[in-house]
Amino acid sequence: MDLVQYLPQLCQGLLVSLQLTVISVVFGYAVGLLLALGVSSRLSWLKWPALVIVEVGRGIPSLVVLYVVYYGLPSVGLLFDNFAAAAIGLTFTVAAYSSEMLRAGIQSVHRGQKEAAMALGLPQPSTFTRIILPQGLRSSIPALMGLAIQSFQGTSLAYSISVSELMSNAYQSSSITFQYLQIYAITGLVFAVIAVPSTWTSVWVEHRLAKGFA
Amino acid sequence: MSQQLITESQQVTSAGVTITNLSKSYGDNQVLDNISINVKPGSVTALIGPSGSGKSTLLRCINLLETPDEGTITVGTTTVEAGTRVSDRALLDLRRQVGMVFQSFNLFPHMSVLRNVAFPQEKILGRSREEAEERALTLLDRVGLREKAHQHPDRCSGGQQQRIAIVRALALNPRAMLFDEPTSALDPEVGLEVLAVMRELAAGGMTMIVVTHEMQFARDVSDHLVVMADGHIIEEGRPAEIMANPVQERTRRFLSAVLER
Ligand SMILES: Nc1ncnc2c1ncn2[C@@H]1O[C@H](COP(=O)(O)OP(=O)(O)OP(=O)(O)O)[C@@H](O)[C@H]1O
Ligand SMILES: [Mg+2]
Repeated sequence: MDLVQYLPQLCQGLLVSLQLTVISVVFGYAVGLLLALGVSSRLSWLKWPALVIVEVGRGIPSLVVLYVVYYGLPSVGLLFDNFAAAAIGLTFTVAAYSSEMLRAGIQSVHRGQKEAAMALGLPQPSTFTRIILPQGLRSSIPALMGLAIQSFQGTSLAYSISVSELMSNAYQSSSITFQYLQIYAITGLVFAVIAVPSTWTSVWVEHRLAKGFA
Repeated sequence: MSQQLITESQQVTSAGVTITNLSKSYGDNQVLDNISINVKPGSVTALIGPSGSGKSTLLRCINLLETPDEGTITVGTTTVEAGTRVSDRALLDLRRQVGMVFQSFNLFPHMSVLRNVAFPQEKILGRSREEAEERALTLLDRVGLREKAHQHPDRCSGGQQQRIAIVRALALNPRAMLFDEPTSALDPEVGLEVLAVMRELAAGGMTMIVVTHEMQFARDVSDHLVVMADGHIIEEGRPAEIMANPVQERTRRFLSAVLER
């Protein structure tokens, strides 16, 4: 078995998958926070568009989102290469899911916290950024970590728009050697090697967080 | 140590609190019906009454955590009239002058004890971090909690947390303090530590309005006792007198229920 010779290619693919994960998580969570604020807003011109984006993002399978970005948007003049299209599509999906997690976290902050800040005379912006948000983010962490792992696994969808990530490199290797079982098993293993310890870490973090702030 | 807590904390003098014809409803439920109270500068008013009588709502209307439907609230020279638009400035101004202590402490769990006390000073009074933390340490020392400064609140007992909450409010030099059942969540012995701090504050001349079931405290410390029921003031006067000879039947029933606990 000369599977070893395909390892560099798989590693190359893994690197691309990790890049997509980092991009979609970093930008996705940032956009997700803005969407969460929009959805919680009292201003209806902010609330409704945000709500629509979130529901669409969660309702449409991310494979379809990738197709829309890569094959659909060029027809309205927005042309992206495969990597950019994958990054944008995955970011969109991650943003939609994370916004609900962040909103739930922010809402879970005890209302006494806001009241205490108000009673002290703290202006509203600092009440939010310094009192509510840090506590809300903290309670969203377990869910956000889970979503990060899912989005790593979700990068395999980018294969469908020919991004040379882990999955597509595996496909290429196996179509040369016909060792489908072996190569896909290794690919699955690579995903698992990343995802399983990450899951353990998130469980550990969740446990630590539950113990309190000290 | 009694005068210290206040003299160092009170660079400004205590203010009177006047509430005139205050009313508040939640939907059809009229929670406060035409309440008027006058709390003289430096005096202590105890507020008692059965559950649901509107004590917390009254307190929360004073610093506008709740919006009253009618009436006026005056703290020192700041007057707020229900129904008129209150500017953000006036609102923050009012809240800065009035400190509030809650039954559930409400310390900020993501900050150390020191930051809990220093952070609001920096944001609200514009003090430097150094100045704010120095003042925080001085005040924490006064209530015997200096060694807790670098811990998080969840490492402190309930009684300690409540004393920290009092210090957090005091650090802003309030001109009056509101207490909503500050010891109800505490074991009786622990409650005494908190009541001791409140006694000092009162002795130092802080204007205080205290919702409480601690009759001993109300009798010893307060100058004026207000009994509420169903959103009305049913009786008010000198604490010892009302406790000895309540005029209203409802006051009598309430007092005997509380004293029997
Ligand atoms: N946010 C709110 N929305 C609707 N009703 C409320 C709200 N807050 C208080 N109430 C109602 O107002 C009435 C007075 O409540 P309040 O908390 O002021 O009473 P209290 O005298 O402080 O009682 P307790 O001794 O139990 O603390 C109650 O009937 C309560 O159900
Ligand atoms: Mg109450």
